[in-house]
Amino acid sequence: MSSKSRWADEDPETEAINAQRKREKEEKRRAKAEKQRQLDQQAEEAARQREPTTQETEAPPKKRRRLSNEPDPATEVPVKSSKPPKSSSTLLQFPSQEWGPSRHVDNFERLNHIEEGSYGWVSRAKDITTGEIVALKKLKMDNSPDGFPVTGLREIQTLLEARHPNIVYLREVVVGTKMDDVFLVMDFLEHDLKTLLDDMREPFLPSEIKTLLSQILTGLDFLHSQWIMHRDLKTSNLLMNNRGEIKIADFGMARYYGDPPPKLTQLVVTLWYRAPELLLGAEKYGTEIDMWSIGCIFAELLTKEPLLQGKNEVDQVSKIFALTGPPTPRTWPGFRSLPNAKSLRLPQTSSAPSGNPPLLPRAKFPFLTNAGLQLLSSLLALNPTSRPTAQECLSHPYFREDPRPKPKEMFPTFPSKAGMEKRRRRETPEAPKRGQEAPKMDFASVFGGQSSGDGRETGAGFTLRLG
Amino acid sequence: MARSSTDRLKSLSNALATPEQLSNSSSAIDGVAPELETSIRFAGTELTQAAGVFLRLPQDIIAQAIVTFTRFWIGAEGGSLRIYSVKDVSAAALYLTAKLSFQPTSPRSVLNVYNFLLSKDASPLWFINPKGVPEEPSPETYCLSEGGYQSQRIVLLRIESIILRTLGFNTHVVLPHTIALTYLQTLGVSSSAVARRVFEHLNAALLSPQLLYVTHQPNALAVSSIYLAAREVGIKLVDGEWWEVFDVDREELGFLVVGMRSMEGFARAEMEKWKGRVVPMSVEEVEAEIERRRMMEEGE
Repeated sequence: MSSKSRWADEDPETEAINAQRKREKEEKRRAKAEKQRQLDQQAEEAARQREPTTQETEAPPKKRRRLSNEPDPATEVPVKSSKPPKSSSTLLQFPSQEWGPSRHVDNFERLNHIEEGSYGWVSRAKDITTGEIVALKKLKMDNSPDGFPVTGLREIQTLLEARHPNIVYLREVVVGTKMDDVFLVMDFLEHDLKTLLDDMREPFLPSEIKTLLSQILTGLDFLHSQWIMHRDLKTSNLLMNNRGEIKIADFGMARYYGDPPPKLTQLVVTLWYRAPELLLGAEKYGTEIDMWSIGCIFAELLTKEPLLQGKNEVDQVSKIFALTGPPTPRTWPGFRSLPNAKSLRLPQTSSAPSGNPPLLPRAKFPFLTNAGLQLLSSLLALNPTSRPTAQECLSHPYFREDPRPKPKEMFPTFPSKAGMEKRRRRETPEAPKRGQEAPKMDFASVFGGQSSGDGRETGAGFTLRLG
Repeated sequence: MARSSTDRLKSLSNALATPEQLSNSSSAIDGVAPELETSIRFAGTELTQAAGVFLRLPQDIIAQAIVTFTRFWIGAEGGSLRIYSVKDVSAAALYLTAKLSFQPTSPRSVLNVYNFLLSKDASPLWFINPKGVPEEPSPETYCLSEGGYQSQRIVLLRIESIILRTLGFNTHVVLPHTIALTYLQTLGVSSSAVARRVFEHLNAALLSPQLLYVTHQPNALAVSSIYLAAREVGIKLVDGEWWEVFDVDREELGFLVVGMRSMEGFARAEMEKWKGRVVPMSVEEVEAEIERRRMMEEGE
């Protein structure tokens, strides 16, 4: 975690561990000293045995202890060469990372409960040795016959690798006495965007929305560049501090993807933020599903309200189509071949909105500029291939036109709910549970709300714009 | 906590063992002779490689599992051979690595394969079944019963958790193989013979008693294997100190080349050393071996 030389032992955490284990180590050391002598002896022998083979190589290296930790660029000794010294080249220094056993959770004092998500509960805690305030998240063990839950493993793996200013920082993983007690220690942030929006009287200013959205997109662009899909982006998973910084959190659904894409579950993303291709049962999907969620979050920033609050999968699809207009073979070629699209009966639309992807109804977002509406409409394009990448979004004119993004330093601060009090439980839907059967959905009733099959299948009851 | 831009290099680099970790192993503290530990660890990596092949896992998963397996035993706070059985750690490392990959496997498949490979009659591995495989080994000697499966599954999953705790949940392993291919292209080497030899060296180095994968970054392993392979195949590389372009200095290159060259000799010496005998794969066998050595010393 530290980028300092691995020889430097200034990390307070390491020091804490050392202090704690000093006594037991003392004993081990004495036993070790004896072993060490034997090891050295053996190493020398091994080196001597290897010596003949070095003759053939161009540069016989100095005889060295077998166990010595080879070149660390930070402490590099100048290369000894018989030739006259040349201009020395600068070699890249790799971050010096180490591994060590997980610390015990008793090193933290729990202060207050923050919230309970689908993948475990979170509390605010204090590092007893350093006094730092952190967020402590207990991983949920599902007692699965497959051992340590893969979702938890992926969350740790992706968070450890996704080091970015706009992604929540996983400091370490600590454990309890029971095998099932595993906790993620993360930087504590004062707010989550959902609670913040709920408590605000007015939505964010356009300049503030741009600052927030561009930070989210920067974080997501980094994730996608590292082949990580988040798969559960929503306002309650975006954390904010009082310095105007926003960070993507909760990687309980995140995973690596590949090219070609591996087989993936469709049971991802909280319903309200779930892309239409997932709802229609696409077996192959990509980072476009995260971009759809970004569209929903963008709209939520504008209006303070979740954009598409479906009661169930069918209702969600119906709400999506009500907003965007139904898919046409022109705007989304191939959607018909998606598993759940077979039961879908679409109205015959003569007045399909123009543009590809079509613009969303202006009336829903009265205060948004044309560029903003265009960006939002492209993010909420039914056809995944029409959605822009995070990178493309960042270079969109929306972020360059007035009002410009507000500097982070100028951001207003808010009283923190997570800081002091228990958070209200909200009736927002959760991300789907892993291992569930993908539901077989009958989308016949998406349009019109009544069971079809009574001969009124085309267009009955469908209104293009609910306003 | 310092968080620098070098975090971005994580996808190209690994956590390495500290000098302190390298000079202390938990097993040594528990009284396992270093030379015995080396032999057991070597056999354990071979077992992991063989099991991966039997499970039809791709080599990148197997290689990552071997690195995780190797890390587990390092340092005073690592695992001890007198507490954890090599065979269990090998199986759990492979299972855990596959779980996180695009090609997960089931506990049952893993345990079936290990049961076969650890069978004293049917195993094709020299350090488990030195007398060789009979024409038709009887299935009872390697088939896993339902009761056996249930109890071994519990062990597998417990060791999985122990590996994770011992490594602080760091499962990140970057391999040098793809890096080596990129370097070969950069160097304009199109010989498939060199590429094959590079992979052979990289895969052999996984079993190295010098623990090359936990003491050197993947770029250094890639450069060294290319240097060695090109010399062996007889392909001339560019003039000049090209390894510095890939951030490897001459000293490190030299050390790694020697290490990789010594692999074959080491493997032969191991087979010779254990000729006709079984390398201990479990805590009980390790205890028996230590006891045997003690008796021999006393007898002399």
